[in-house]
Amino acid sequence: MKISSSQMFRKIKNGCWTSLVVLMFASAFSANAQDGGALFSSKCSNCHHPHKDGTGPKLSKVREKWETGGAKEGSIYKWVNNWQNAAASDPYAMQVSKTKGTAMSAFPELGKKDIDAILDWVDEQPEQDAAAATGAADGTSAGAEIGKEEESGLGWIWIILAVIFVTIILALGGVRRQLKLATGEQETGKIERPTYTEEFKTWAWKNRLYVGLGSLVIVISVIVTLFLGLYRIGVVEGYQPAQPIKFPHAIHAGVNGIDCKYCHSSVTKSKSAGIPSVNVCMNCHKLVAGQKPEQIEQIKKLYNYAGWEMNGTDGKFNGNHKPIVWNKVHVLPDHVYFNHQQHVVVGGVDCKQCHGDMTKHSDAQKVWTVDEINALADADPTIVKLTKPTLTMGWCIECHNKKEISGGSLDTKKSGYYDEIHKRLKNHDRDLYEEYLKDGKVTVKELGGWECAKCHY
Amino acid sequence: MKMNKKALTKLATLFVGVFILGSCSTDPTSPGYEYMPDMYRSPAIEPYVDYGEIRGRINEDVKTKMSALTPPSFAIPYYGKDSAYVQMMLPYRRMPDSTYANVAAFYGWNISKLNEYEMAKADVNPIKLTADNSEATLKKGKELFTAMCQHCHGEKGDGKGPMVVSGAYQGSGIPNYSTLQIAEGQMFYSIYYGKNKMGAHSSQLNKEEIWTLVHYIKRFQDKNYGKFDKDGKSLSIPASGSTPDSLMTNSAAKVGM
Repeated sequence: MKISSSQMFRKIKNGCWTSLVVLMFASAFSANAQDGGALFSSKCSNCHHPHKDGTGPKLSKVREKWETGGAKEGSIYKWVNNWQNAAASDPYAMQVSKTKGTAMSAFPELGKKDIDAILDWVDEQPEQDAAAATGAADGTSAGAEIGKEEESGLGWIWIILAVIFVTIILALGGVRRQLKLATGEQETGKIERPTYTEEFKTWAWKNRLYVGLGSLVIVISVIVTLFLGLYRIGVVEGYQPAQPIKFPHAIHAGVNGIDCKYCHSSVTKSKSAGIPSVNVCMNCHKLVAGQKPEQIEQIKKLYNYAGWEMNGTDGKFNGNHKPIVWNKVHVLPDHVYFNHQQHVVVGGVDCKQCHGDMTKHSDAQKVWTVDEINALADADPTIVKLTKPTLTMGWCIECHNKKEISGGSLDTKKSGYYDEIHKRLKNHDRDLYEEYLKDGKVTVKELGGWECAKCHY
Repeated sequence: MKMNKKALTKLATLFVGVFILGSCSTDPTSPGYEYMPDMYRSPAIEPYVDYGEIRGRINEDVKTKMSALTPPSFAIPYYGKDSAYVQMMLPYRRMPDSTYANVAAFYGWNISKLNEYEMAKADVNPIKLTADNSEATLKKGKELFTAMCQHCHGEKGDGKGPMVVSGAYQGSGIPNYSTLQIAEGQMFYSIYYGKNKMGAHSSQLNKEEIWTLVHYIKRFQDKNYGKFDKDGKSLSIPASGSTPDSLMTNSAAKVGM
């Protein structure tokens, strides 16, 4: 009876371990769902909304819709990868392809897992009351914040649950041990209380092979994690600070075709690309007050900053001007000199090379990862593919090593800057000049782009 | 009791461990760790860097309260020693008139009581197109037009830019350049201070750039504008109302464009 109760405790303990493992998997799954949100905003949100039909139909519960509609299994994933393939193989998809005029882009890069993550995320989105959204400007932003809080709150629930489970496991273990000791006392009559350490030592000695292998694995993984962590120091890829106004680059630069240089007008004249002052925003926004509720809400914030009272289609400036404090995204250390004018005007580098494709990025501006920028190279051959993380020195010099200063001929650059370097090189060091020309191209590095003092002085 | 203490220590370690693991998530709003923060933000002033927060220390006095500044009105940048060029880059002598009193960029500016727009008719473009510089000037003009104007005015200058096509701008009043009947001085005035629905662009473009744009816009009105024959004679026929010849010799028009 006593032994069986000890076994029962062991069973409960094992059960707890299993649930802990399950919990960990579940939390990994919730991270997956968050990825779905990021994927949705980067790939789908231009045309789709979870609960509203836009350019594309609403996506909430779309899998159920396809299933009940009689679609073949898996054809929705085919559809996302390339809708034409799906329409060719599935009559339901064929029918869907006829309902709407605008053709959907193909997303061959999205696997089944990604698509499931996106659709899971979409299904989780609560349907917001449209009337509430059009209401007070502050009301809707509060709604969005509540959503965010829930997300971070969920993480805490997992942690608290894990702590509770671990406590139960330990408590049960303790009780079991006490029982065992008690039975041992009764049977032998001797008071024998090995400490936890002694118990552990005997156990470890018994299973020394596994313990040894286990600790080896743990030690190696700790070292690897440590080094990987050290490599992430000073890497700001993916940095995406919150901004006072949710400014969608995709609408301004993408849909409305406004050139980057319209707002960042000092990029061709100065070291800094410049953040536009509010009067530049108001050049258009005194007329454009937004159409969707979320746009109206954000533009209202801008009017508050500008001190502009919108009245119908016209407005009036009231002088209550508050400057906007934007959060700087691309921060270079002070010990490196970087000049936008030199890169954009003299070097002819496209903004995309470092800042990614903002015409398709509707989120807050972020530091694009090097993989994301490399993916743009297929569409735009001027983009140099790099391997090091963006905004690191390795990334800079890698590009200086690969980037040709011009398509073979040095004289096409109007600035005269490279002409001068070219002339000096030709006159003073003919051998080096010949060597540089061996591979048929002249890179930035070959004209001094790897000199330390070029950037550090 | 001793054992209990040990168990408690273990529990505490576990709590801390779980807490640390729980905080191990990538937060996009954090820029991550830096090796030497003092080298990242030195006392030397760089644009758009918040010096009110260095290594966690907050200094309310110097904390950033404004990200972007309008250039100080009538500030004069250094433009070299070429007097003709400096003359062109001197502050614009025309003032905004009463129609601009409610425009954000000119709030608090001196507003002229005169009809300055009408007076701007007399201004002539200080950048003279010749057979040599015409092509380069118009090419520069095209670049500027693409960056600064084309989203509303359209690539062909017909007022059908992507802003209008997408429906973001639902008003009217964007002119078709080919039928626009205003003098080049008035074009300059309109770009500098804005006109009707168009905003002021004086903070984004300098005077040389605006005059270059004026040349480019005139290309929309006259296909031969800026084209020269073999003898260097202009092929363009001056349209009535734009640069009248009588004004070319007007001394007032030459000063302080």
